[in-house]
Amino acid sequence: MQVLEVESVHSADMDHALANALDHAREVMARLTNAVKAQVLGRDDVIELALIALMSDGHVLLEDFPGSGKTTLAKALGEAISDDQAADQKHSLVPIVPFRRIQFTPDLLPSDVTGSAVFDASTNSFHFRHGPIFAHVVLADEINRTSPKVQAAMLEAMGEKQVTVDNQTYALDPLFFVIATQNPLDLVGTYPLPTPQLDRFLFKLRMVHVERDAELEVLNTWQSRRDKTSSRIHVGRSEILQARHAIDAGVYISSAIKTALVDISRTLRADERILQGNSTRSLVLILPALQVLAAMRGRNYVNADDLETLLPPVLTHRVELAPGSADFAKILRDCMRVPMETLARSTLNPTA
Amino acid sequence: MSNAMSKTIHPTALNNSSAVTPGKFTQSLIRGSILAMACWVLSTPLTTVSGSAAGAIGCLLACFWVDRQQRGTSTLLQMRAPALLLLLALTLTVTSVMTGLLLQSAALANLLGAMVLYQSGQSVYWFTLTAAVAIALRHTARRHSWGAIAELLFVASAFVITLAAHQRGMIDRPYFIGDFALIRGLDPSTILMGIGVAAVLALAILLMMENQHRRLPYHAGILATVCFSLLFFVQFFGMPTPQLTNDLGLTGTEGSGSRANNDSPFRDGENNASDREAPVAVVLFRDDYEPAGGAYYFRESAYSEFNGTLLWTAENPDLDQDLVSQFPSSPVDVSAEVPAPELRRRVTTTIGLLAPHRSPFGLDAPVRFEPAPNPNSLRFRQTYTVESLVPEFDFPDLVGRKAGSTDWSLQQWAEYLEMPDDPRYGEFARQLTATLRPEFADDPYAKAMAIKAWLDENGIYSLKNEHAYAVDPAASFLFGDLTGYCVHFAYSATYLYRSLGIPARVGVGYSVPAANRAGGSALLIQAVNGHAWPEIYLQDLGWVIVDPAPRQTLVDMSVEPQDSLQQMLGDMLRDDAAFQAFLDDQAGTSAINWALTLRLLLAMALAAVLSAYAVRVYRASCLGWADEHTLYRVAYRAALDMLAANGIRRRLGESREAFARRLSNTLPAFQTLSNWHLSAAPGYAFDPALALSGGDTGARNPGAGISRQQWLGHTAALRHQLKAQQRWWQSALAIVHPLPWLLSR
Repeated sequence: MQVLEVESVHSADMDHALANALDHAREVMARLTNAVKAQVLGRDDVIELALIALMSDGHVLLEDFPGSGKTTLAKALGEAISDDQAADQKHSLVPIVPFRRIQFTPDLLPSDVTGSAVFDASTNSFHFRHGPIFAHVVLADEINRTSPKVQAAMLEAMGEKQVTVDNQTYALDPLFFVIATQNPLDLVGTYPLPTPQLDRFLFKLRMVHVERDAELEVLNTWQSRRDKTSSRIHVGRSEILQARHAIDAGVYISSAIKTALVDISRTLRADERILQGNSTRSLVLILPALQVLAAMRGRNYVNADDLETLLPPVLTHRVELAPGSADFAKILRDCMRVPMETLARSTLNPTA
Repeated sequence: MSNAMSKTIHPTALNNSSAVTPGKFTQSLIRGSILAMACWVLSTPLTTVSGSAAGAIGCLLACFWVDRQQRGTSTLLQMRAPALLLLLALTLTVTSVMTGLLLQSAALANLLGAMVLYQSGQSVYWFTLTAAVAIALRHTARRHSWGAIAELLFVASAFVITLAAHQRGMIDRPYFIGDFALIRGLDPSTILMGIGVAAVLALAILLMMENQHRRLPYHAGILATVCFSLLFFVQFFGMPTPQLTNDLGLTGTEGSGSRANNDSPFRDGENNASDREAPVAVVLFRDDYEPAGGAYYFRESAYSEFNGTLLWTAENPDLDQDLVSQFPSSPVDVSAEVPAPELRRRVTTTIGLLAPHRSPFGLDAPVRFEPAPNPNSLRFRQTYTVESLVPEFDFPDLVGRKAGSTDWSLQQWAEYLEMPDDPRYGEFARQLTATLRPEFADDPYAKAMAIKAWLDENGIYSLKNEHAYAVDPAASFLFGDLTGYCVHFAYSATYLYRSLGIPARVGVGYSVPAANRAGGSALLIQAVNGHAWPEIYLQDLGWVIVDPAPRQTLVDMSVEPQDSLQQMLGDMLRDDAAFQAFLDDQAGTSAINWALTLRLLLAMALAAVLSAYAVRVYRASCLGWADEHTLYRVAYRAALDMLAANGIRRRLGESREAFARRLSNTLPAFQTLSNWHLSAAPGYAFDPALALSGGDTGARNPGAGISRQQWLGHTAALRHQLKAQQRWWQSALAIVHPLPWLLSR
C-alpha cells in the first residue's frame, strides 16, 4: 500500500513535469508561428503544417507557382531560429547557418550541395568545405529541375541526416529541415521525383493563391516587413530540440489511434482504385507529426481530429492511383469510414 | 502488372469492391434463388421431382460460383463467350452420355435398384444442365449489359410458360400453388403472376445494381408500373382466353361460335395441335359406369338432314328429337323416348363447361337435363346435370334387329336415308358387305360392322387432308386417298350405311377414353376429345354408335392425362356438403391461425416496445447512480441517447470530435460533454493502465476530475438547448421514442 502511494505520487510529479514541459513546447511553437506569420501573410494552414514538419523532424515539399511565397516562408522559418549553441562550443568546427537556399539547376553537381574537399596550400592538405546543406533550414528550390544524381545526394541527407563525401561522413545538425519546392506546371526538362523519393517528405503541400484580403495586406505591409528585420522574434535551436523531446514524451498516442492508422492504410492498399499504397515508413513518420499537432491544439493526447487533418497531406503523394481514378481525397474518405467508426466507438467501450 | 492491365480493361469495374461483402452475399442469394426457381418451374414438366430439385440446386450453386468470381482475376470472366458455351455444351454432352451409359449398366442397376439409378441419373443430368445454363446467363450478364436481358427473359419465360398453361385452363400447374389457392377461393393465376412480377422486378433491380446503372429508381419504377398494371389487369379482367379452333364447332356461343364462320364441318380451320390439351369441360359421375367400348361418348349434336351437299343439323323438328339444343333453365326431358330401357342403365352426371358451348351435351343417351348450381362462376361457364340411359348392349342384342323405327313417318324414313346422288356409295357398300356370311347377309348391324371393319383396316388418320374443298369431301376421301380425320370417317360411314338402307347420322360431341378417369369420379374433357362418329338406328334399341377407328394414323393424338387437374376441377364441381365442409374447415383453420398469429405478434411487439422503454429508462438513469469512474462513459451515452431521440445522430465514419463540432452552434453543452468524455476515455486520451492502477490521473486526465454534479448540470443544459431548438411535436416524439439507445452510436 505504502509503495503504491509513493509510486503514484512519483508518477503525479512526473506528470506535472511533463505537463510543464509540454506547456513550454507549446509556447515555443507559438513564438515560431508568430515569427513566421509576421512575414508570410494569408498562409496560416501551410505555416502550421510546415511547423509540424519542423517539430516532428520531417521535411516538406511545396508545389506552387513562382512568387507565391515559398521562399519567404522558408526564409522566415530559417531566420526565426537562432543558433544558441555557440556557448557550449560543441560543434564549433561545423559552421551551421540558420538558413540556406539552393537553386536546383540541371548542371548542379552533388558536391555543390554537400560541399567538397579543397586543397589548402597553406597546410598542404585537403580540407572539407561545407556545402549549403549544412544549415537548419534549407530551401531546395525547384528540386525537380536537377539531375537524379543531385536529387539522390539531397535525399540521402534528408533521410540519414548526414552527407558522405570521399568516403568521409559528415553529420548534419539534428535540426535539419528541408523545404523543397517544385513547379507543378512547367515540366519541360525536369526530373520528376519518383514515389519512393517523395516518401522522404512528410508533407507535400499544394499552396493556392492567397485570398484577396491577404494579398492586399501583403502589398500594404511590405515596406514595414522589409525594414523590421532587426526586431524579429527568435527561437533558440536548443529550445526547439527540447520542445521535440517534450512533445515526444508528453503526448499520448492510444493504441486505438494506431489501430485506425494501420487499418486505414491496409484498406487503402486493398482498394482497387489504388495501384500502390502507402509505406509503413509513412505510418512511422506520421506519429510524431500527430503528437505535434495535438500539442499545438493544446491536448496531451492524439485524437481523431488530428488524424483527419494530417492523413491527406501525408498520404496524397505516397500512393499511386490506378488509371481512371483521380480523386484521392474521396478514396481516402471511403477508406477511412470504417476504421474511423471503429475508433469513435472505442471510446464508449468499458475498459475494465 | 496483369492486375493493372485488367484494371484498364474494366474501368467501370473499379468501383466494385473486390471483397465479397455481406450485401453482395444477400444479392447473390436472392438472384440465385430467383434463377433456381425459374429452373425448377421450367424443369418440372420434363423430369422427376428429384431431377428438378437437383436442377434448382445446380442453378443456385452455379450462380453463387459465378458471383464469387472477381473481375480482373477470374479466368471464367475473361473467357470468350463462344469458348465458354462450347465448354459448357461439351460438359453437358459428356454428362449426358455418361448418365446414359450408367443407366444401361446392369451391375449398377442390380446394386442400387432401377428406380434409384434412374433418379440419380436424372438428378446428375439436370444438375449439370441448369448449372451450365446459369453459368452462361450469369457470364453474359456480368460481361455485357445486354446479358441482363437474357437473364430477365429466362426468368420471365418460366412464369409466362406456367401462366400460358393457366390461360389454356391448366389451372393445376404447379399443383401445390393451384390447389392451395383454389381451396382458399383465390385465383392461382394472380398468385403466380404476383410471384413472377416480384421475381422479375427483384432480378431487374439486382442486375441494375450489378451493372451500376445510374437511373435505377427511374427504370425500376417504370418496370414496376408495367408489371403491376399487368397484375391488376389480370386481377380485374381475368386472363385472356384464346378461341379454340379444332373443336368441330362444338364450342362457341349461340350464333357466334366457330361454326358460324364455316358452312362445312370439313372446314373447321387449321387443325393445329397447340391448344388440343385445353380442358373444355369436366364431367362428374354420380353413378359408376364403365363403357363396354372403352370410351365415353358425349353427344352434343348430330348431322342427319341432307341439305343438298352434305348432312347438316336437322331443321325438320321431327328429326333427332333426342337432342336438346338449349341449355336448360329448368329440368327438361328429352322429347323422344329412349327405347329398350331394360338393356340400359341410368347414369347421372354433372357437367361443368369450362369453355362456352352451343348446346348441352350428355352421355349417350341423355333423357333429362336440369340446371345445377354453379359452385364457381369464374371457373365454370355453365353447369348442368344430365340423366342418361347408357347402353349396355351385348352382341346378341344388336344382331337380328331391323333398321329404323316403325314409329317413323315416311318423311322421317326418307330424311334419314337421304344422301348425295352418287352411285359409287351403294356399289362400294354392297361390295363390302357381299362377303358377309349368309346368316348375317341381311343384318343391318353386321353390315355396318363390315363397313367399319374395312374403314378400320384401310383408313389413315390424319389432321391434314385435301378434301375440305371438294364438292363432296366424303366421296373425295372414300374414293381417294382414304386419309382424313373423324369427320371424314363419320360422313363416309354414314353415307355407306344409308346407301344400304340403314338409317344413320353423324353424331358430334366428345369421345373420351375410359382410362382417363383413372379410377376417380371426375372425367376431364379436353379439346382433343372433340369427335364425330356415325351411328345407326336399330329397331327397339335406338341410336347405336358404330365408330370406325383407323389403325393407321399419321398424327399422335394422345395427350398427357391431366389427373391432378381432373381431380381438382371435379372437387370444385362436386358442390356437395362434404366438400363444402372441407372448404369451411380449411378456411376456419386458417382464420384461427391468423387471429392467433396476429395476437402473438401483437404481444411480442408490445413486449419488445416495453423492454425497449426499460432499456431507455435504464440508460438515462445510469447517470444518477453509476460509479464515478464510469461517469465519463455513462453520462456521454445518456447525452447521445437524448440526441438520437431527437433524430440527431453521428454519421457513420464521423469522428466524435467532428460530430460535436457540427452541433456546437446550437448545442454548446454537447461540445463540452463530448470533450469531457473524450479526454477521460482510457485507451483514447491516456494509457488505460493508469486508470486500472487507480492512481491520481488528474494531471494527464482532466476528464477524471469532473464531478457528477457537473455531468448532471451539463446534461440538463443539453436538454434545455435541445428543447429550445426543436419544435414542440419533435420534443413530444422524442419523449415517446422507444429506441434511441439503438440509434445512438
